Amino acid sequence: MSGVVETNGVSKWYGEVLGLNAFTASFGRGITGLVGPNGAGKSTLFKLLIGQLRADQGSLRMLDEDPWNNVPLKRRLGYCPEHNQLYGWLSGQQFVETLLRLDGMPARQATLAAVEALKLVGLSKAAHRPTRTYSRGMRQRAKLAQALAHKPEILILDEPLSGADPLARVQILRTISDFARDGGHALMSTHVLYEIERITNNIVLIHNGKAIASGDIHAIRALIDEHPHAVRLTTPRPRDLAQVLAGMDHIVAFEFPAPDALLVRTRKPDAFYKELPEVVVDGGPEVTGLESPDDSLDAVFRYLVG
Amino acid sequence: MDDLSVAIPEGAIGLVGPNGAGKTTFLRLLLSLVRPTSGTARVLGRDIQDGVPLRERIGYMPEHDCLIPDMTGVGLVTYMGRVSGLDTNTSMSRAHDVLQFVGVEEERYRKIAEYSAGMKQKVKLAQAMVHDPELYIFDEPTTGLDPRGRSEMLDLVRLISNSPGRNVILSSHILPDVETICKYVIILDGGHQIAAGDMSRLLSGATDRLRIDIRGDPEAFVRRLSEAGFETEVSGPGLRITRQPGVEGAVFQVAKALGAEVRYMGAEVRSLEELFLDLVARTDAGGG
Amino acid sequence: MSISLPTYTRRDMPLLGRGHRIRAIITSGLRREFKRPAAIVTVGVGTLITTAWSIISVFFAPFLLPGQPLDLSFFYTMAANPAILFFVTLMASVIGSGLIADDLDTMALSLYLSRPITHRDYLIAKAAILVPLISMVAIFPLVLTPFLAALLGRFSWVIVLQAIGLSLVIGLLLTAFYASVSLFLSSITRRKSYAAAGVFAVTFGLTIPAEILSLATRNQSLLYLSPWEDFLAVARAAFGASAGPIDWPGALAILLGVTVLASLATYIRMRAVEVVSG
Repeated sequence: MSGVVETNGVSKWYGEVLGLNAFTASFGRGITGLVGPNGAGKSTLFKLLIGQLRADQGSLRMLDEDPWNNVPLKRRLGYCPEHNQLYGWLSGQQFVETLLRLDGMPARQATLAAVEALKLVGLSKAAHRPTRTYSRGMRQRAKLAQALAHKPEILILDEPLSGADPLARVQILRTISDFARDGGHALMSTHVLYEIERITNNIVLIHNGKAIASGDIHAIRALIDEHPHAVRLTTPRPRDLAQVLAGMDHIVAFEFPAPDALLVRTRKPDAFYKELPEVVVDGGPEVTGLESPDDSLDAVFRYLVG
Repeated sequence: MDDLSVAIPEGAIGLVGPNGAGKTTFLRLLLSLVRPTSGTARVLGRDIQDGVPLRERIGYMPEHDCLIPDMTGVGLVTYMGRVSGLDTNTSMSRAHDVLQFVGVEEERYRKIAEYSAGMKQKVKLAQAMVHDPELYIFDEPTTGLDPRGRSEMLDLVRLISNSPGRNVILSSHILPDVETICKYVIILDGGHQIAAGDMSRLLSGATDRLRIDIRGDPEAFVRRLSEAGFETEVSGPGLRITRQPGVEGAVFQVAKALGAEVRYMGAEVRSLEELFLDLVARTDAGGG
Repeated sequence: MSISLPTYTRRDMPLLGRGHRIRAIITSGLRREFKRPAAIVTVGVGTLITTAWSIISVFFAPFLLPGQPLDLSFFYTMAANPAILFFVTLMASVIGSGLIADDLDTMALSLYLSRPITHRDYLIAKAAILVPLISMVAIFPLVLTPFLAALLGRFSWVIVLQAIGLSLVIGLLLTAFYASVSLFLSSITRRKSYAAAGVFAVTFGLTIPAEILSLATRNQSLLYLSPWEDFLAVARAAFGASAGPIDWPGALAILLGVTVLASLATYIRMRAVEVVSG
């Protein structure tokens, strides 16, 4: 199944400065999180996807088309840039409307589309106030409204949550989830990893201009062999449980962080989870709690990027 | 702000609230940069009218950019130390120490104009620390930082707040950060305090339910558990089961029978975010 | 995840007082000014030219100003040196315009005000950066020239000491006026170029129209609008030179009044500044 975005060996340089370096990944269906340190190449990737820049090398296709100089494709995507400077004197409604009309939408249609988009992001009440009076969270939502107003197929969002208060964050994430649920695709970059985890399991990890991992978070985690997977089990008899589990040869270590806890480190988490219910039921000590503290995007990021 | 009454204990305190809730005004009051129209306040045992002696013992890390670009990192921190009353040698020595602590190495000799966002945040923290205050006020310390930067900054905040005799007020929109670092939280909305208390007490939600995440067929799981007499419902990516004796064992039995995997089993803990949204929805009239 | 961070030590000694903190701002400010080429050139060239001009006028007085008695009133000529006006304006503009505006622009003001100092301390420090620098062109030449003149025997020490005293006073008056005006302008904008332009406007934008209009309408009292003419009026009275178009009480009142008002306005403005954005 091909991804919404297909990249193969894409490179982009700004003089000597690295933008992307042989970036190869296939991603984009549903909601995809783009994660990486500052300067890793996310902005470059976005600009290539929306057709603002042209790759120096390699092939980049979105929805099976080349984005460079591709006006019809641009109409099918909605872009929410990072910068927060809106046209301060325009109201939210005017802002979205104006951008729609600049795109060629007739006035009446633009007004209706703007009203609807602002309602989706929860800005209806404030739609007629000038955007310079908006808080950061409101500006982020206004940008999102503008990106959604022409009913695109793909949303590209660069740090859509940055600086937003908790209410706005929840609203924005909900809007994106609804968009994906209704068949759209969304690419979102953010530094706050737990928020990506809430709405999707698909990520692309960028570092130094390369895609170092892409796909399901858990699948990626399972592949990271050097860092055995840690699983914490709450049980009244941790040492007995350890003995029972010792038969699993993929377990590397047992630790006892608390009187009622056993920490297992295993090379093969999938095998572990598969075998665990049977072991517990067949005469093992009671297990009253189970969690995996490092099966998270945060851990994956740390292990791969450092 | 309107009729705000809070009592903040020692340790690490979170300050959260929607935009316009009065957080910034509150912080400025603590710094004695604004006068209350009515009411009194005491910080670190002193009335806030005594601005200058109070600020000797407070370190402030603002949210916005505030560094002087044509100074070096160590130059700025030393300077701020001297403006706080340290003599030149002590200030220079402490400046180097705190820059080391926050993780600024040779960059400290370069001009701040050339610093990355993460480095600037660290210098902001260093200048708040250099005079060894008793109370630290951090306003959105992780803004603009990438995941590694966030994690380093939060570790620093945690280290400082765990230092004996040092108190931290962390004001942030990123509620999970507040949740992990602060033991106490104050929630503001519309100029009032709508909740305050011990984090664990505020968040201990329904302990009467168990949450599990599974890999397998959720419907079949629910069916089997219900047949065994446990009230179960699907909730997001997992299941919620009303606690009864033996529920955990039953879960594993069903998992074995179905060939499913249990990936998480634990308390149904409410997150700070859920609490916050609940409270604000109740008190907020909407808008914005 | 583990991070190994060295711990920092506690501060044992008590903090030094307000005087020390203000001095820290002043020395840092002066040091930073002297790193800027514009400031160095302005101060250097300004001091040089104004001093040289004053000295030349002393030695060539008999030729340049025939009939001028070599008594106290001679030093009025030295004070009426237009180079002083030009360089004072330039200094106030180049150095003064950024003193507060830059802190507003970078929002470093938040850092200052979170320190244990008051708004007053901050302003005193800023003024104390500017005043010595302006006085290099406003006071220093006026004090050095009589001194040299006495050394070379052109004037008696009695006259020279009087001249030095008077020079100090009127030089200080001019310095204070320009310092307070430029600090006020610097406090009301984030762009120091606007403040700099404002300083030039105060000098030339008032002086030139005032001179032209007063000639055109033959109304001498229009000259009160010009800070330079006000300064000259006070200098005439001080050095006992012959009376000019406007009288010194009104001129003095204007100069002092503006200085005080500008200082107050700056203080009020600083207290009102929204430093912590929300």
